[in-house]
Amino acid sequence: MAPTLRPGKSRWRGLGQLTPWLLLVAGLLMVRLSKGAGFTDAYALLSRPFWPGSAQREWVMAATNLEDLSRLQLLEDDNRRLRALLELHQQGSAQGNVSAAVISRSSRGWWQQLQLGKGSLQGIGRSDAVLGPGGLVGRIDSVTPSTARVKLLTAPGHAIGVWLPRSRRHGLLVGRGSSRLSLRFIDKDPDVRPGDLVATSPASTLLPPNVPVGVIQSVDEQAVPAPVAVVQLIAAPEAIDWVQVQTR
Amino acid sequence: MTRLHRQPICVASALLVPFLALASPPWLAIDGVGPAWAVLWLLPWALVDGPVSGALSGVALGLVLDGLNLGGVSQVPALLLLGWWWGRLGRRAAPIQRSLNLGLLAWLGSVGLGLSLILQLWWRQGGVLDPLTQSWGLQTLWCQALVTGLLAPVLVSLQLLLWRRRVPS
Repeated sequence: MAPTLRPGKSRWRGLGQLTPWLLLVAGLLMVRLSKGAGFTDAYALLSRPFWPGSAQREWVMAATNLEDLSRLQLLEDDNRRLRALLELHQQGSAQGNVSAAVISRSSRGWWQQLQLGKGSLQGIGRSDAVLGPGGLVGRIDSVTPSTARVKLLTAPGHAIGVWLPRSRRHGLLVGRGSSRLSLRFIDKDPDVRPGDLVATSPASTLLPPNVPVGVIQSVDEQAVPAPVAVVQLIAAPEAIDWVQVQTR
Repeated sequence: MTRLHRQPICVASALLVPFLALASPPWLAIDGVGPAWAVLWLLPWALVDGPVSGALSGVALGLVLDGLNLGGVSQVPALLLLGWWWGRLGRRAAPIQRSLNLGLLAWLGSVGLGLSLILQLWWRQGGVLDPLTQSWGLQTLWCQALVTGLLAPVLVSLQLLLWRRRVPS
């Protein structure tokens, strides 16, 4: 058979021999550009059975908790020092806390109240703040020598001043009977959105400062004269068996 | 035979009402709302002992329960009227003892009590009730009326049986 005279065919043949190498270079470039994503994912998949177990995770979490507690202690010390400089009433100190058992609970009926097993003999007084796991629950409404009655934040008409740490705006939190409360703002533009934390004011002298109260659930921007938000309480009174009363 | 209010053991049974209100057993509640214990005690008392005794017992019970609850609204007006009404029913009509009738009377009493509390809340808030309070009030009212009406055939029948033996008509 006579050899072909077409010169392009040999050029294509040379290119065909180079193709694997070109593909390899392209692959390496892709690995470089993706910062080795394929390799790390494959490594993660293969090495999953040998990852650190739950014991190591618990150690890390315990260390993290310890770090958080240390930071909290430092911040509380700092806060106490600053409040002393501002000559604000000292509240929230550990020596003013009284633990009390809930001996009667009416959190869903006509009266939202708790009855505590400690009273004026243990230093509890009217208007003292009552805290449960999660934050503020209510205030002491009346005391006897051995019992105290707590008016829950959810009680209709029960109003306390609160503020939003993110936007630094104040508002009035009003109980409506249910576990959702109304938050009335003073400003027309309170810069509030669902998910914002609601806490007691850092300058409050009637309630312990900076205590979490609830989370904004929804906002009615059209309310007159100022927006109104619905707040979901963090502490659930129907599930609390022990509370802390911050005496003054 | 002496009247019911002259028998110390019968009068002492009223002490159960505040204690049960304080205990508020959660297994006797619908959505966390317990029965109106005052209604469950006052209904048989008034049916047996008459309107004056019923009204006075309603006032006494209302005052005790108001003392145990947060201030603001009172149960006294509703319990006074219910005691008077049930006392008249017991005096003028044929003896009421069927479970359905007792359940219905207790249900009506609980609804009346709840409506009086909602009315007082409405009046205290300047004649306006916001939607959240309205829905909470209606839910509490219906839950309490339902559980009271369901318990009445058992508890009220038992009290009627015991008290009518002590005070035969």
